[in-house]
Amino acid sequence: MKTPPAPASAASFAPGCFVATPPAVSRRHFLRGAGVALSLPLLSSMFSPFARAAGGPPIGPGSKPRRFLGICNNLGLLPQHFFPTETGRGYALSPYLQHLAAHREDFTVFSGVSHPDVDGGHPADVCFLSAAPHPASSGFRNTISVDQVMAEHVGHLTRFPSLTLGVNAKLGRHSLSITRSGAQIPCENSATEVFRRMFVQGSPAEIAAQKRRLDRGQSVLDAVAGQARDLQRSVTARDRDRLDQYFTSVRDLEQRMQMSRAWEDTPRPVVSAREPVDPASPKEYMAKVKLMYDMARLAFETDSTRSVSLLLDSMSSPAIEFGEHKFSDPYHLTSHHGKNESKLKLLQAADHMHLTLFNELLTGLKSTHEDGDSLLDRTMIVYGSNMNSANTHATTNLPIIFAGGGFRHGQHLAFDRDRNYPLPNLFVSALQRQGIATEKFATATGTMRGLDMV
Amino acid sequence: MRQSHPTRSRVQQAIAKVAVGLCAAAWPGAAIAAAPLPGTAAFIEQHCAACHDETEKKGELDLTALKFEPTNADNFATWVKVFDRASSGEMPPKKKPRPASADLAAFTHAVAAPLLAHEQERAAREGRATRRRLNREEYENALRDLLHAPWLEIKDRLPEDAVAHNYNKIGDALEMTHVQVARYLDAADYALRQVIAHQAERPATTVTRYYARDQKTFQSNIAKYRNEQERMVIPVLDVKAQYEIYEKKAPITVGAADPATREREAFVEIASQYESYEMWFDAFTVPRAGRYKLRFNTFTAWVGPEKPEQAAPGKGHRWWIPDLRDVSIGRRTEPVTIYAETIPHNLRVIGKFDAQIEPTVHELDVWLVAGETIRLDLTRLFRSRQGAGRFRNPLATEEGAPGVGFRWLEVEGPLLDAWPTAGHRLLFGDLPLKQNDHPALDDFPLDVVSTDPRRDAARLLRHFLAQAYRRPTTEADVQRFLPVVENVLRAGDPFVEAMISGFTSVLCSPDFVGLEEKPGALDDHALAARLSFFLQNTAPDAELRALAAAGKLRQPAVLRAQTDRLLDSPKSAQFVNAFLDYWLDLRTMSGAAPDPILYGDYYLDDLLNDSAPEETRAFFTELVRRDLPTRNIVDSDFAMLNERLAKHYGLPLFEGVAMRRVPLPAASVRGGLLTQASILKVTANGTSTSPVKRGAWILDRILGRPPSPPPPNTPVVEPDTRGAKTIREQLDQHRDVASCAFCHRAIDPPGFALESFDVMGGWRDRYRATAENAAAAHEGIAYGGQKLLFRFAQPVDATGEMADGRKFSDVREFKRFLLEDEAQLARNLTQQLAVYATGAPVGFADRAAIEGILARTRAGGYGVRSLVRELVQSELFLKK
Repeated sequence: MKTPPAPASAASFAPGCFVATPPAVSRRHFLRGAGVALSLPLLSSMFSPFARAAGGPPIGPGSKPRRFLGICNNLGLLPQHFFPTETGRGYALSPYLQHLAAHREDFTVFSGVSHPDVDGGHPADVCFLSAAPHPASSGFRNTISVDQVMAEHVGHLTRFPSLTLGVNAKLGRHSLSITRSGAQIPCENSATEVFRRMFVQGSPAEIAAQKRRLDRGQSVLDAVAGQARDLQRSVTARDRDRLDQYFTSVRDLEQRMQMSRAWEDTPRPVVSAREPVDPASPKEYMAKVKLMYDMARLAFETDSTRSVSLLLDSMSSPAIEFGEHKFSDPYHLTSHHGKNESKLKLLQAADHMHLTLFNELLTGLKSTHEDGDSLLDRTMIVYGSNMNSANTHATTNLPIIFAGGGFRHGQHLAFDRDRNYPLPNLFVSALQRQGIATEKFATATGTMRGLDMV
Repeated sequence: MRQSHPTRSRVQQAIAKVAVGLCAAAWPGAAIAAAPLPGTAAFIEQHCAACHDETEKKGELDLTALKFEPTNADNFATWVKVFDRASSGEMPPKKKPRPASADLAAFTHAVAAPLLAHEQERAAREGRATRRRLNREEYENALRDLLHAPWLEIKDRLPEDAVAHNYNKIGDALEMTHVQVARYLDAADYALRQVIAHQAERPATTVTRYYARDQKTFQSNIAKYRNEQERMVIPVLDVKAQYEIYEKKAPITVGAADPATREREAFVEIASQYESYEMWFDAFTVPRAGRYKLRFNTFTAWVGPEKPEQAAPGKGHRWWIPDLRDVSIGRRTEPVTIYAETIPHNLRVIGKFDAQIEPTVHELDVWLVAGETIRLDLTRLFRSRQGAGRFRNPLATEEGAPGVGFRWLEVEGPLLDAWPTAGHRLLFGDLPLKQNDHPALDDFPLDVVSTDPRRDAARLLRHFLAQAYRRPTTEADVQRFLPVVENVLRAGDPFVEAMISGFTSVLCSPDFVGLEEKPGALDDHALAARLSFFLQNTAPDAELRALAAAGKLRQPAVLRAQTDRLLDSPKSAQFVNAFLDYWLDLRTMSGAAPDPILYGDYYLDDLLNDSAPEETRAFFTELVRRDLPTRNIVDSDFAMLNERLAKHYGLPLFEGVAMRRVPLPAASVRGGLLTQASILKVTANGTSTSPVKRGAWILDRILGRPPSPPPPNTPVVEPDTRGAKTIREQLDQHRDVASCAFCHRAIDPPGFALESFDVMGGWRDRYRATAENAAAAHEGIAYGGQKLLFRFAQPVDATGEMADGRKFSDVREFKRFLLEDEAQLARNLTQQLAVYATGAPVGFADRAAIEGILARTRAGGYGVRSLVRELVQSELFLKK
């Protein structure tokens, strides 16, 4: 069994070290060792079905690149401190939203919204960006998530069509990114790994070796696809569909390998940021959240991708620790607060930290500029949860913030709390902002009422 | 598609009659699509339309406008529901006039016949089941068997599989995506690299003894817990405390110089693992994956209490603190759990045993993975944890507290049948190995030498394919994969890499990953695979393959003998585990831990949570092994228990960690599945129990009458642990609303009956609520040796009323009502098994086959093994 190299020690990057020091861990780490698999786990998580983008870039010359970031904390926020009481433009910020006061005009907060027929409590996190109904039912099949629709359209323009990131995300259990055929794209939990993929440049010999491995992988897939094709001839219609899915999946992967091979010739962007060190323990949940926000910002800054999903998998997290706060029980257990005072206090502290970090993300994006625009104005961010409250597990009245991206913000859009307004409409607005001419996404009935583009 | 299930056996008789009397060709389903169903209009007008028409539309159903569209799953399910409701007599409702029986028969026939015709036609054309790929557990098991490497961890490298109709084996739900393909490539490549020899010489099998006294984790404990004697390990010679070692007047061990004394040295532990208090045999790390024998030399001890004269000034006499000078012989056995651990804290249970009063060696024969270390949990002993005040050992009495002594761990291994291993030889035969000097092969110390790579490649692939594929292979198969190998060789990469590419492509190909079945009767090979994935959760073994190759497996007697052979083999545990993980949701046992404030007492050990699913598996295994009647699912006069569970259930106590069959007292509330800790846990959320959730679960899983999902915007009840209102009071609202009451009169009773059981299945007379302050808390010691934090609130009301109005006063009476319809319990179990075994839902047209199985097993009370046997012999199983 191979052991991964030790993470670069923080000391070697201490202030005062000369900047030109190459990263202590070479790109060789992820090139070596793999045969046909060639580090495919991460590859596959980063590659989305761009192949379906028809007829070249949807964005005309001179049009602005648009980005999308979807963030879900699957244990939510305490609703009593999140939702503002007043509505419209002049609303007073709620205790949680006070953290975002500096960006008041850069976000819209919603109430009375949810995904129609998305029920079932915890399992609904995988529908946060897809809005597929009844995730807990026996015949549930997920549908494509909004970040992946974006990737289909603009993914071919960047090295990574999309990034699927997670904090403590349980592999295979939870993810926000869903392919067109309804499969979860596993989350990448390591900020270090994401950084390396984006920015650590291999030597010519390593690149050549990587290309050989990609060629090898394609040869394997050819043989596999050949058998799928031959089998299709002799089976019934329903089985032919299944084999066709097999065949298409193999071809999809082959295309991704080709794309990856082509990008090997493009040098990776150079950034001044240091390679991050992943916190050793999942208890350092908040530190991980911060790092993943940094990765998303760097990805957008360098135009490495235009679509990112980030699942803050609080469900799968242990008793977390941040600042002077120390949960005595796992995050999930604490969230079943049953109105217990001490638990509510801890949850409130965590929520404040969440909003503090989110504020830092907005500040970072706002202070970065691209062609005269702030990066925030070109980045749409959906921030929220699949549940109103982890205590009730209700999947209606979701806490949702929509920030940046070139919309007229600064308002609390309040809808009926008994008969919720469809949240998928927000995704239609986002898709249109991305330049995708569509009126439809999942159960959407149109664009988001009351939300206008700038 | 979820079809409504019949509610009375009359339904079954009705459908059986229809099935017999039907000429399928008379009902060309497609031709009448989207038209009203012939022969139903008059009956609907007369008996149904008063409620189910355009204006009333009760239950969102307008029968006067309902077309017949069999290709639409929802429409099909609606007609099935109409048939079930009408033929069971549930509709028209009691207060309306009954239809004449001839009219009713004509109506139900008019509904059933086209439904049957449609499904039968489709089954003939396509088969019931859709071609499916292996799920990740099956893939892992198949690779382990093929590569002779039972220790391979593959499952977690593959995405979690979709669940439909409760199982992860359903063809229509097991999707294929580029992610899945990429993961297969990764998993296969990983597995192959794990089994290839990494050294030419046979690794030495060694026997090494690791003395507890030499382990740094034990030694450092002494220094660390100087002032917290409850956490300390005590050095002993035989069972005499060696206090001089604390005082540094004696070395920590006599060492190798005095082997006779060394053999008698030990450390006695009085607390078990908790947070910073962790001990393991740190001197041993598994050097390579393989089979090992671990021998533990242990005994139990007794540690006396602090004496009055030892009391610290001002603290008084604290008898609960151990006297580290006062160790004597143990007073009982102590359960020990052994884990293999990989950093960080990735624990895998590899064995359990009872430490005996006298020093005894316990041997575990286990598969270990490189890098693992061996960790102990003395499961009954307390886990200290700092909190409000100093922790206290709940086992301590004024006479002292129990402890467990460890002398040494002896490791023998790796145990090899041959070198290179069978897995390596499957891949490379006897080709010689040499030191790798190829620059591209940077992570392989060895290369495989071939003087004629092309011919060797073809030969090795041919051999591998014959083992890997579950069907006869041909030269065309070899030719399909040979180019993969040749391409790599042509690029100048080494032979071993080329072959890995070739083998990987076989392991990712549709014929390995998928189950090949043709419409109609399964051929021998497909049958072997279906039988094996059913009863072993893995690919067919050599005997099944040989019988399939000889064309004998389809003979009923042979098939029956093989069914029994597989059920009797140790690998049937893979069936029991996989089936129960989904049928009864045992896979979710590790989710939603009990609330530590309300249920701190459940944090004293891990053994309860570990034992609970084991009980259920042992119980089901017992039903299969002895062919016990299905009624045992609801109530049995025995339980499969160990000491921990007996204590949990308040049953007569005994010592021992192993599961055993225990007779239950006549008045016991236990017996059957419903009152097992595992079931009561997976149907609760750790903090509170919901009668609705438990009730719906029991209807779906045990009674085979799944309720409809709640309508949108159903209000939720917010759990409140402050104890003001019971869940029952909170739920009363919906029972008063007519639209809710219709479903809830069926859903709630099982849930109400189970209100007597808390989130971990413990009996309760009163609910627990958070104590407002320490004074209000119930007396006792729990979580980490801290005080309990709950108080008792309102009394539990476990009475209820069945849907038909009969009242029950507790769970025992409720069980008796359920037992009145044994056939329905057996019908449900058979359906669950059929879905699991065939990878397809049980449809309307499959009901006759299910009834046939029931008819053939009725005499024996629907013995569980008989159900499995008859299912295997039924056309549901024998046809695609």
